Amino acid sequence: MESRSNYWLVAPSALVFVALFIAPMAFFVVLSFWQVEYFELSTEPTLANYRDVFVNYWRVMGFTVAVATATALLTTFLGFVFSFLARFRAGQWAQALLFIVLITLFGGYLMKIYAWKTILGNEGVLNSALMAMGIISSPITSLLYSPQAVVLTLMHFSLPFAVLPIYASMRGISDAEVEAARDLGAGRWPILSTVIVPRCQSGIVAGFSFVFLMVGGDYVTPLLVGGKITMIGNLIAPQFGAQFNWPLGAAMSLVMLLAAVAIIYLFRFLVALGSRP
Amino acid sequence: MTALLKLRGISKRYGDAVAVQPLDLDIFAHDFVAILGPSGCGKTTLLRMIGGFVAPTSGTVEIDGRDVTRIGPEQRPTNTVFQGYGLFPHMTVRQNVGYGLRLQKKPKAEIADRVAEALRQSRLTEFADRSVTALSGGQQQRVALARALILRPKVLLLDEPLAALDLKLRHAMQDELRRLHQEFGGTFVFVTHDQGEALSLANRIAVMNAGRIEQEGDAETIYTAPATRFVATFIGEANLLPGERKAGQVKLEAGPSFADAGADEPVTTVVRPKAVRLLRAEEKADIEISGSLTEVVYLGDHIKCVVAVSDKQDVVVHLDVAVAPRPVVGEHVRLGWSIQQQRVVSA
Ligand SMILES: Nc1ncnc2c1ncn2[C@@H]1O[C@H](COP(=O)(O)OP(=O)(O)OP(=O)(O)O)[C@@H](O)[C@H]1O
Ligand SMILES: [Mg+2]
Repeated sequence: MESRSNYWLVAPSALVFVALFIAPMAFFVVLSFWQVEYFELSTEPTLANYRDVFVNYWRVMGFTVAVATATALLTTFLGFVFSFLARFRAGQWAQALLFIVLITLFGGYLMKIYAWKTILGNEGVLNSALMAMGIISSPITSLLYSPQAVVLTLMHFSLPFAVLPIYASMRGISDAEVEAARDLGAGRWPILSTVIVPRCQSGIVAGFSFVFLMVGGDYVTPLLVGGKITMIGNLIAPQFGAQFNWPLGAAMSLVMLLAAVAIIYLFRFLVALGSRP
Repeated sequence: MTALLKLRGISKRYGDAVAVQPLDLDIFAHDFVAILGPSGCGKTTLLRMIGGFVAPTSGTVEIDGRDVTRIGPEQRPTNTVFQGYGLFPHMTVRQNVGYGLRLQKKPKAEIADRVAEALRQSRLTEFADRSVTALSGGQQQRVALARALILRPKVLLLDEPLAALDLKLRHAMQDELRRLHQEFGGTFVFVTHDQGEALSLANRIAVMNAGRIEQEGDAETIYTAPATRFVATFIGEANLLPGERKAGQVKLEAGPSFADAGADEPVTTVVRPKAVRLLRAEEKADIEISGSLTEVVYLGDHIKCVVAVSDKQDVVVHLDVAVAPRPVVGEHVRLGWSIQQQRVVSA
């Protein structure tokens, strides 16, 4: 065992951690109990911001959590399927499949949004194709500017962030484990539920968390493909700009953060529950 | 008696490479069979075809009268101990061992009882609730065995079960395997490239070379009556004396000749070092040959002598340590052995 005196070696990273994570967070917490009155920051502690969040913004908050949960669930599922195929079915093509996933990361965020606009728009690829085939006579206007369009675009954007941690944990599963499971009588589903899913629990939870957090904080996608749809990010961002109400913005952010932590813990619990031997 | 496991014309090709040539093999109930051969000869492929992990290119696998060629491992009455064990690291020892029974949806109480019994038999009780990642290699090996045996397979397959263990542990595990085979009363088939292991564990040995089974038989026959030159050299030490057979008479390049029925062809005469004697002055033997001693090495349980009988041919002799007087290097000696103790195989 290393001697105790070597703990100081972690000091630099601890310092970075405190400076970049703990300090801003603490500042936010404090800030959320202050208030802005007539463009003046009052440091009198108050719960007014939180009251505001729960009274006036709970709908948007709930909608955001719902969109984020749906997107994260769907993306994690897709990411799992993709990783499974790459790890257990693709053989020598596994590297190529992963490369494709990685390369879509380079496409950038706005590119993907505009891609979906061109696909889903009134004169977009999908509508034109359906009309050309005579399946519909006038464009389906609800394709774009709908919650589905937001979820779809966000899924596309966040898929690599689900695939990478899940694939990484699947690589830790040896072929012998899977063969042993078959040998002991496990068919397709039992192998998935008793070996593969339990063995990549951490990857699945990490993928879900990445996607949930990215979607929960996003405010560009709803603007561009969501039409009238508002997510909490669309309301938080202006508080730090035009609205100039940092305390309210901080309170909204913290409530959203707590909701995210709660959802992620719930998800983690459910995955663990489903993975019990 | 009909065989428990019947392989008929079974083969495996990967592209142009042939891993296993079409072959037949019968394995009987309660046998402990070794598939023995050098690296790359197709042992693992053969074992995996029996277990259902590799689909044969041709031929059939029949277990207990049922054709299982097209059936996956999950439905075969076989269980396997894999080379890397394939233990489930997210489960404890107890959960690993009970895995198969849980899949069969046996009642909880029955599972608990049978797992406890299996753990006791494998001397794993004290580790029952440890993670398998916190076990030594030998302990992991025992978990893998217990996990497979608890399902009472008709045939237990083991791929190089002892290869990863150090020498001392290997001997302990050999005893363990022998004991389990006796207690369990099942049929074990294991793959090894270690002839010592094959001889000490198996009552029947199938010697493989380049995708073929060159000889299958009980350990003693394989050792004393090797069917091919490869079998003779692969198992135990052997002197190989090249010669030529003509009209029922074999003439060895090193000198002697003797009668031996068979086709006219180049042959190799195989004789074990232990079967060769140092002849005293007037002593006679079926085959006699002479040369000069080039090496005398004391090896504890025997003395190894190397005799150069010609420019190109050495004969190794194992002598009892009690031999007196002890021969010395440079001495001219006469060697001899009886015809029953040699084998003539195609060159
Ligand atoms: N999946 C595969 N694809 C292509 N060739 C293979 C495959 N599996 C095995 N082979 C080839 O088949 C031959 C036999 O392989 P196998 O693993 O059965 O040998 P082995 O006798 O078990 O050797 P070892 O003692 O080294 O384990 C080898 O030449 C090997 O390269
Ligand atoms: Mg092998």
